[in-house]
Amino acid sequence: MPTRLLALIPSAVAINLAMGFVVNQLGLPVYLDTLGTVLAAGLAGPVAGLLTGLVSQMVRSLYEGFVWFPFVTIQLLIALVAALARRTAGFATAARAVAWGVLAGIACGAASAAISYTVFEGVTATGVTAITGILSALGLARAGAVFVASIATDIGDKLLVFAMAGVALRSLPRRLAARYR
Amino acid sequence: MTAGTAALAFTLPAPSGPLVLYAGVVLLVLLAGAARAARTAALLSLTIWGFLWLLHVVLPGGRGPEAALAQGARIGAIATASVYLLHTFDPSAFLDAFAARGWPFAPAYFMVATMQAAPRLRARASGILEAQRARGLRVGRSPLARIRAIVPLTLPLLLGTIAEVDDRALALESRGLGGRRSSRRTPLAPSPFRSIDEALCWGTALAVAAALAVRLA
Repeated sequence: MPTRLLALIPSAVAINLAMGFVVNQLGLPVYLDTLGTVLAAGLAGPVAGLLTGLVSQMVRSLYEGFVWFPFVTIQLLIALVAALARRTAGFATAARAVAWGVLAGIACGAASAAISYTVFEGVTATGVTAITGILSALGLARAGAVFVASIATDIGDKLLVFAMAGVALRSLPRRLAARYR
Repeated sequence: MTAGTAALAFTLPAPSGPLVLYAGVVLLVLLAGAARAARTAALLSLTIWGFLWLLHVVLPGGRGPEAALAQGARIGAIATASVYLLHTFDPSAFLDAFAARGWPFAPAYFMVATMQAAPRLRARASGILEAQRARGLRVGRSPLARIRAIVPLTLPLLLGTIAEVDDRALALESRGLGGRRSSRRTPLAPSPFRSIDEALCWGTALAVAAALAVRLA
């Protein structure tokens, strides 16, 4: 494995973990915990993104419990979407990055809802579960409540992640970005 | 062992299986002298227990208290085993164990390097936040203002981290790592894999196989 990739991946994973701190400080109801994955995939391609996603979930599981390891699928899915966005110049403008973010949000929300419902019976101890509870109380069936809550939160989250990754990738000096091509 | 606990949590018949497993894991962790790990895991699972009770017992469409108990016990058992793993995790022993077995260096390096980088990055994020506040950044209560604040807080963190990658790559290269023909590493102080460790691994694997066989029968 190229040494630059060997050095990039732990940094990208650490970005994923550090975003929890930033989000807490801002009091935003999003995670942004895939920003490092999108950045790695947008910068160095699918392998870097997939490895960043996998290691992120491994390390997070070590800190917060392997209970949440099935959500590794979301990290891998977003890495693939980000790599596809990179290939089609999806980070070239803010509008494109936002559009790819919405697409990633729909894909990840659907996958997240499936995992949440089948493995965790809709309870994942996050804001998503609170929304699921509210929707259930309003009379929506459990599967529907989990699906709507997951899609709604994931679209907002991934939209911000892709927009932010786009800003970072466009701000990088060309010489630095070219080293990963 | 942690992977085995996770597998058993979802294969043992509910609700008694996960409940017995949770009790067993907590007992083992307490016997190992890691009461703090069991307490931390219990605190981590507390919110989940609350939500499980709300969604399965209080609100309509739930599967009742038995389902809530079973799922809570599953999550409690896995969380306890995971927190105990973190409690006993030694990064350098982990790297040495990989090297001693001749396994690829990259996976172990990713884990250890991330665990070292994460607190550093969190500290840097905190520093950036203080610096931006000193320059007049006001987050306020409006959600839009908070979203806008993401850029000045995150961008310096992202760009600084990417800029550092080259230095780290150079350091790795100078130590003979990476590339196609990376030399085989030798451990400095290989940790022994005792017969009790081996017995515990095989015992867990057999228990998972037996639980799976019972489930499928």
